[in-house]
Amino acid sequence: MGKISALQLSYGAIFVCLMAIGANIVIWFPFLAIPIGGVSVPLSLQTFFAILAGLMLGKKLGLLSMTAYLLTGLAGVPVFAQMQAGLFVLFDYTGGFLLSFLVVAYVTGWLSERLIPFTLSKGFFIATVGVLVNYLIGVHYMFIAMNTWLGLTISYSTTWISMTPFFIKDIFVALIAAVLMCKIVNRIPKQIRLNTH
Amino acid sequence: MSNSIIIGQYVPGDSWIHRLDPRIKIVIIFCFVVFVFFANTALSYGWLTLFAIATAASTKIKARFIAKGLTPVWFLIIFTFVLHLIVTREGTVLFEVFTFPIYSGALIQGFSISLRFFLLILVTSLLTLTTTPIEITDAIESLLHPLKKIKFPVHELALMMSISLRFIPTLMQETEKISKAQASRGVDFKTGPLKDRIQAVVPLLVPLFVSAFKRAEDLAMAMEARGYRGGEGRSKLRELVIRKQDIIALGLFAFVIVVLFLLRS
Repeated sequence: MGKISALQLSYGAIFVCLMAIGANIVIWFPFLAIPIGGVSVPLSLQTFFAILAGLMLGKKLGLLSMTAYLLTGLAGVPVFAQMQAGLFVLFDYTGGFLLSFLVVAYVTGWLSERLIPFTLSKGFFIATVGVLVNYLIGVHYMFIAMNTWLGLTISYSTTWISMTPFFIKDIFVALIAAVLMCKIVNRIPKQIRLNTH
Repeated sequence: MSNSIIIGQYVPGDSWIHRLDPRIKIVIIFCFVVFVFFANTALSYGWLTLFAIATAASTKIKARFIAKGLTPVWFLIIFTFVLHLIVTREGTVLFEVFTFPIYSGALIQGFSISLRFFLLILVTSLLTLTTTPIEITDAIESLLHPLKKIKFPVHELALMMSISLRFIPTLMQETEKISKAQASRGVDFKTGPLKDRIQAVVPLLVPLFVSAFKRAEDLAMAMEARGYRGGEGRSKLRELVIRKQDIIALGLFAFVIVVLFLLRS
């Protein structure tokens, strides 16, 4: 990995803050708790910012930024959803979603480095892939966690069905990331991307 | 709220657990997380519970604070226990609740899994209760140092974490300001179809991005003006040193693990 400049470092750090805000966005904007099928699902913008981190920072810096986010939360700073923090989030059945942000940022970054110039349809594609990666890892982790250390026997399909409302919400939100990215793609300083041409 | 965020769950204190080297604490806790899964008898569970409670007590943190850290997971612990009572059908029927039979195997299995979960959460939360995020960041940088060999930017990662600690409260205040600014303009997002509400996110995020990126650029400029040139040859404000008490803590923990293995069947 090439030398990381001060600008790249601060952009990476800012994305850690944005992830923290995105995870708890309903605190400031309560209207974002959206009723889906009778349950109020608080909208979290974590996937949104993880995808955006990949799109804006590229695969390497995006991955580094998400690692910093995860470690900051594990170190006890309440940056995860519902202002949670600490090592136990990884034992919880939703821990896989947090881990998946590393891969989400890397994959979306990798794709966006290959699919240049950036267009709206490419953005939609990348964002959808991001959400799929997020759920593939998150739901499998949930399934494994439930059936091993949490000791709850739950069928594979039930795990997926229980996550469907969230999945629909996240697809919507990811598409907004693509729209937003389209608007700001030319305003990002070129130097923040690592090793891209 | 913003001021309490950067200290995280840390409860100031002067116990010997507080003063331990954060690296030692992290190593011990990681080992504990692994070894908890080795407990398989009532005695071995009891021994680990004794260890966890003794450690928690020696931090001299009020039980109230420790319990507060556990609040988000009480539900999960109890839920696991109840689910086991319902699902597991092993052993003999002990008694019936509203004609629903409770098996002895279910009681034992539910209890041991809930206890294991409780131990994991209690011990891991002791790390964040007795160590500031800054100390943990320093420890992570030091523990990950070997990764530098494979060109992983350990120093940059730690610096990124420190910077974000500084900016999380600031950006949270900024978000608060944006939400008030929108409210004062009479924007009402509370009603309307789903599509409109999700689309309403964009005008809220744009000012947030503008302010966040401006801060990032100002910071980068300030760092460069002060001659930041990466981690090479950079000295530290806080140096971590392994002292006698750290060695003793490691020894004690090794003893706990040896006894654990003697107690399991």
